[in-house]
Amino acid sequence: MSPSRAPNEVERETGHGVDLWRVIASPIIWALHFLFCYVFVAIYCEKLGRPTDLTAAKYWVVAATVVALGAIGWLTLGIWRVRARSVTDNDFEFEHNSPEERHRFLSHAALMLSILSAVAILYVVIPALYLSTCR
Amino acid sequence: MHKSCVPFNTPAREYMGQAGRTWTGNACRFSLLALTAVWLAGCNTEQSALHPAGQDAAELADLFWFMTAIGAVVWCVFMGAAVYAILGKKAPRSEKFADRLVFFGGVVFPTIGLAALLVVGLALLPSWAEADTPDLRVHVTAEQFWWRIAYEAEDGTLVETANELHLPNGATAEFALTSTDVIHSFWIPPLGGKMDAIPGRTNVLRLEPTKEGVYRGVCAEFCGTSHALMAFPVVVHEAGEFNAWLEQQRQPARPAPGREAFDAAGCGACHIVRGISEEGAVGPDLTHFGSRRTIGAGTLPLTEANLEDWLIAPEHIKPGVRMPSFATLPDQDREAIVQFLLELK
Amino acid sequence: MTDKAEEEQQLAKVWETPKGWSILSDVNNSTVGKWYIGASFAFMLFGGALALIMRTQLAVPDNGLVSAQTYNQLFTLHGTVMMFLFAVPIFEAVAILILPAMLGARDLPFPRLSAFGFWCFIIGGVFVCGSIFFNSAPDAGWFMYPPLSTEQSGIGADIWLLGLSFIEVASIAAAVELIVGVLKCRAPGMHINLTPLYSWYVLIVAGMILFAFPPLIAGDFLFELERAFDWPFFDVSRGGDPLLWQHLFWIFGHPEVYIIFLPAIALLAMIIPTFAQRPIAGYSWIVLSAIGTGFLSFGLWVHHMFTTGLPAISLGFFSAASEAVAIPTGIQLFVFIATVMLGNVVRTVPMLYCLGALASFLIGGITGVMVAVAPFDFQVHDTYFIVAHLHYTLIGGMLFPVLAGVQYYYPFATGKTLSRKAGIWSFWLIFIGFNVTFLPMHLTGLMGMPRRVFTYGVDRDWGLLNMVSTVGAFIFAAGFLLFVWDCVRPKRKEPYAARNIWNAGTLEWVGRVPADNWGLRSIPQINSRYPLWDDKDLQDNIDNGRGLLADASEGRRETLVTSVLDAQPVQVLRVGTPTWLPMMAAIGLGGVFILATWKLWWLTLASAIFFLGVTLYWLWTGTAQIPEKPTKDIGDGRELPLYVAGPRSTGWWAMFITMTGDLTAFLSVVFGYFFLWTVNEHFPPQGVDGPGWQWPLVAAGLTLLTWGAMLGSRLTNAAGNVVLARSLIIAGIIGAVLTGLALMAGPWTTGLDPTLNTYNAIVWALVVWVIAHLLVGIIMQAYCLARSIFHRLTPTHDADLWNVTLYWHFVGFSGLLTALVIGGFPLLQ
Repeated sequence: MSPSRAPNEVERETGHGVDLWRVIASPIIWALHFLFCYVFVAIYCEKLGRPTDLTAAKYWVVAATVVALGAIGWLTLGIWRVRARSVTDNDFEFEHNSPEERHRFLSHAALMLSILSAVAILYVVIPALYLSTCR
Repeated sequence: MHKSCVPFNTPAREYMGQAGRTWTGNACRFSLLALTAVWLAGCNTEQSALHPAGQDAAELADLFWFMTAIGAVVWCVFMGAAVYAILGKKAPRSEKFADRLVFFGGVVFPTIGLAALLVVGLALLPSWAEADTPDLRVHVTAEQFWWRIAYEAEDGTLVETANELHLPNGATAEFALTSTDVIHSFWIPPLGGKMDAIPGRTNVLRLEPTKEGVYRGVCAEFCGTSHALMAFPVVVHEAGEFNAWLEQQRQPARPAPGREAFDAAGCGACHIVRGISEEGAVGPDLTHFGSRRTIGAGTLPLTEANLEDWLIAPEHIKPGVRMPSFATLPDQDREAIVQFLLELK
Repeated sequence: MTDKAEEEQQLAKVWETPKGWSILSDVNNSTVGKWYIGASFAFMLFGGALALIMRTQLAVPDNGLVSAQTYNQLFTLHGTVMMFLFAVPIFEAVAILILPAMLGARDLPFPRLSAFGFWCFIIGGVFVCGSIFFNSAPDAGWFMYPPLSTEQSGIGADIWLLGLSFIEVASIAAAVELIVGVLKCRAPGMHINLTPLYSWYVLIVAGMILFAFPPLIAGDFLFELERAFDWPFFDVSRGGDPLLWQHLFWIFGHPEVYIIFLPAIALLAMIIPTFAQRPIAGYSWIVLSAIGTGFLSFGLWVHHMFTTGLPAISLGFFSAASEAVAIPTGIQLFVFIATVMLGNVVRTVPMLYCLGALASFLIGGITGVMVAVAPFDFQVHDTYFIVAHLHYTLIGGMLFPVLAGVQYYYPFATGKTLSRKAGIWSFWLIFIGFNVTFLPMHLTGLMGMPRRVFTYGVDRDWGLLNMVSTVGAFIFAAGFLLFVWDCVRPKRKEPYAARNIWNAGTLEWVGRVPADNWGLRSIPQINSRYPLWDDKDLQDNIDNGRGLLADASEGRRETLVTSVLDAQPVQVLRVGTPTWLPMMAAIGLGGVFILATWKLWWLTLASAIFFLGVTLYWLWTGTAQIPEKPTKDIGDGRELPLYVAGPRSTGWWAMFITMTGDLTAFLSVVFGYFFLWTVNEHFPPQGVDGPGWQWPLVAAGLTLLTWGAMLGSRLTNAAGNVVLARSLIIAGIIGAVLTGLALMAGPWTTGLDPTLNTYNAIVWALVVWVIAHLLVGIIMQAYCLARSIFHRLTPTHDADLWNVTLYWHFVGFSGLLTALVIGGFPLLQ
């Protein structure tokens, strides 16, 4: 079940191409990013005390965000470029009985989940930009 | 007890213009508010978050009405669509319509709306770090099922009292909250949000009263048998009045008749009466007990009869209380103790 | 007699339900599923009765109906029962009942495991509920915050803890069953994009259970170590922290809300298209938002802890995630609306309940968005506003959809129909009663009433609002009783319902009425999401046995295993037949948990041995049996294997899934270690050196050797060298024993007393966790050795060895990580 297959090729066999792991890749990135931000800031604030200035922590959070969004973007780009058909042909039902259709369905779901994950990541960054100390 | 009805004065009206425009939305919102108004009219509002008497509480009450109004519109529109789709429509709508409904209703609107709400909410998060030092610091230790309260005087000394909080109007008060046994939560609804008092930790909460009056605080986190009976009156004074009160609380108790009965019954083993008995600190400080409004941490109004009942059967009035019963004491001794305590102004 | 009739007789004989008392030994999904649903609803009624007592107590101020102590037990048990004995189990119950039919399977892959889970649930549930009749129910609220629960609660806290741990076993068993069921037991041709939405939700929720329940199990583990042996994880005087429990509890507790909500919404996703008489409008929207909700729901837990004094920025993160989760949740609701917009809606009772669900849940959702704003939560947290909010989400998001599901699936499950009139009456009673009860509570909370108070003073002026709520509660209860009566009233004389009574499109409705135990007469090829609408010959083909696996000529219960994505048939799986073993095993395990409550350690040990014996007998006689022939013709000329080992087998995946959950629990204990590090200035505390690095290093080395031995044993066995494989297993057993000793040697030789401070306690907790797993691993190794010696495990039939090796991958990793953490981390400071 490897996510990186030759481009422009829709694998016919079961278990190749965009699979279930690929679908949840972006949400997993969201989860890692979220966990990193929370755990990092929690330890930072607990160990340095409440009046501490957050600027240093903010850089880390922003860096993590850039990395996470980059990773999601990279994944999305792959899906978008290779499976262009699945997002541009205006048929979002994916109800046909073939491996290609299954494939297009999964890439569509993966793509939309990437967008949702990116939005959720951006949401999480808002408080980091807003607050200035550990209080 | 103080009982005042603040007129139904809600900032929701300010928001009415901003919210949705459909007649159903308006109808729903008006009926909701009208219904609420009926309920709220003529109630005891000492403990109401919707009748703010403090900075935070006022902002949060505004936020509540604002969010409720928008929520009501969202609900009406959504349910209107559902009922229309099931009962009202003449023929099925087009696929394109459905796609747009999901995209705009389910994706675009919530994404933008929730982001906006998040920003509004964060703006209300307490920004104590930027604020100046507070005007008053109060140490509150929650215990099962009462409150140990100590004011930091200007010279840094602590003035100990219990179960009744006094605050100067218009000044920021910072509370350092902790607990000696289980988790409690310190909440004065008309003044602002709550904060937990957790053993081993000291949490900080700031409140700024904006209106004089008597309010009521409670324990909000379940803390055991008599969680329901762990409250305290909150008196907001004009600043000068508050200082006078604090100065008076700082004084030791004046000797009063009945002290022998108090000592003989062993009350001093648990209760401090500064200047008279300074041994035990297990129970609430009683130095100026007679000046307080309630007994049993907000459980009963302080009257002679109630105090006598309390001494006879505290467990009956407040299950799980640590105070033992003094029912076996001779009546005249108990009477003497009651008189002594009431004299501790 | 024709061939077809003979086939049908074979099926009937093989899948026959045991008669008389023996029916209790049944394991078939349709029987166990119905029991499960019935039991969940019985617990629900019990929880509801508790609620009515509470509402009566609160109807007027200063009421003395029940004492404070009783009231505290009532609300604790009410929450516990509704959450753990109704909301989560009903999901498992409904899924067990309808999933196989929906997927075109004859049964779930591990029917005996379902039965085991069911019996665990019953025993644990009765144990927890029964406690209130002895005035010893848990009384610290359903989330059991220490130190109140650890230091002041009586035996109720242990009952809560052990009873629920036991029920969590049932949940994880169900999760294993359902994940494997959805992924591997779909009818041929049911590609992942054609899988019914309900199954998608089940898959997602079962996956969530694997990551949500284990933190609570870890929390329970620490909690009980503190209660029973005074190991101070939550005691501040010895370096512990009560917030550790709150984190572990809510890491479970918030996803749990979605674990409850998603499968209920899944029922709507089946019902609404049926009555709109058209496919769902936006299948992929639903799938992706369900997955998204599943993930985001793990980022919300701190919103239950907004007032614990965490830094504002932490609140901000969780506030953000709590708002974000509303997006995918909303998408699902809009898809439902879009679907009805596109269809010609049939007005039925289930649709009425769906509408009630949307109306109520939406209010809960809106107040949910409100309380996700942290400052607003400061006001309403722990008040009746929250009580109202959570009941709107749970009753709107779960109870109404489940009732819709009961109305909808009743003909499927029983073959009879419910009364339309009673359905409408009960709906309006429930809906009105519910709103009258809970709508005013928003206001009661804002007027200052905290939750969990056994009484309130007359001068608070909350009397009217509370009285209204109480009246509403009784209307609600009346509606519910009417609903239940309609379901259980005798219907012997009534005719059977028509086949596919709602004209639905999904596969579960193709079956005959009354339903056959074996599910479908033959397993069809599926070509669309709504095969009954799209393939008019489907029913005829199935009935006439023109599908796959139409016979049971070997006299075994069989179902088809297909590939994960495209559902190509890969194996014929032989599933378990009726037996008493699951019930015996559940009694044994129940004994362990229940006897431990009273610290009857010898009886506990005896019960554990009984459980172990039964389980081993069950595995020995019932799993990984070498079939009489290697392959079987499934009916279209394809020969599929009867025995599969390794990653292609269902058993391997079951082990993988179980151990994923187990690993999550272990990582939660590791989280505990680092959490306690963050809250303590000195960790290890001053004057304590920790277990040293030498013994942990030895333990790490031994772990690697043991792990390697097991892997080597599998490889050599597969290569045909049975003697070497057996020797390696023996080496593995010795290695495991030595690993355990070396792990203990660290804290032992350095004299770490676990009752002294929290550092010592958490080090020992990690060691104890791994040692427990080593013990189980040793039993597994010995089992493989015995299987090999008795020729039940051979180079070509080595499923047991595959699974045990997989287990050792996880244990090896846990052992290494433990050695690294306890030995290595102190060196970093």
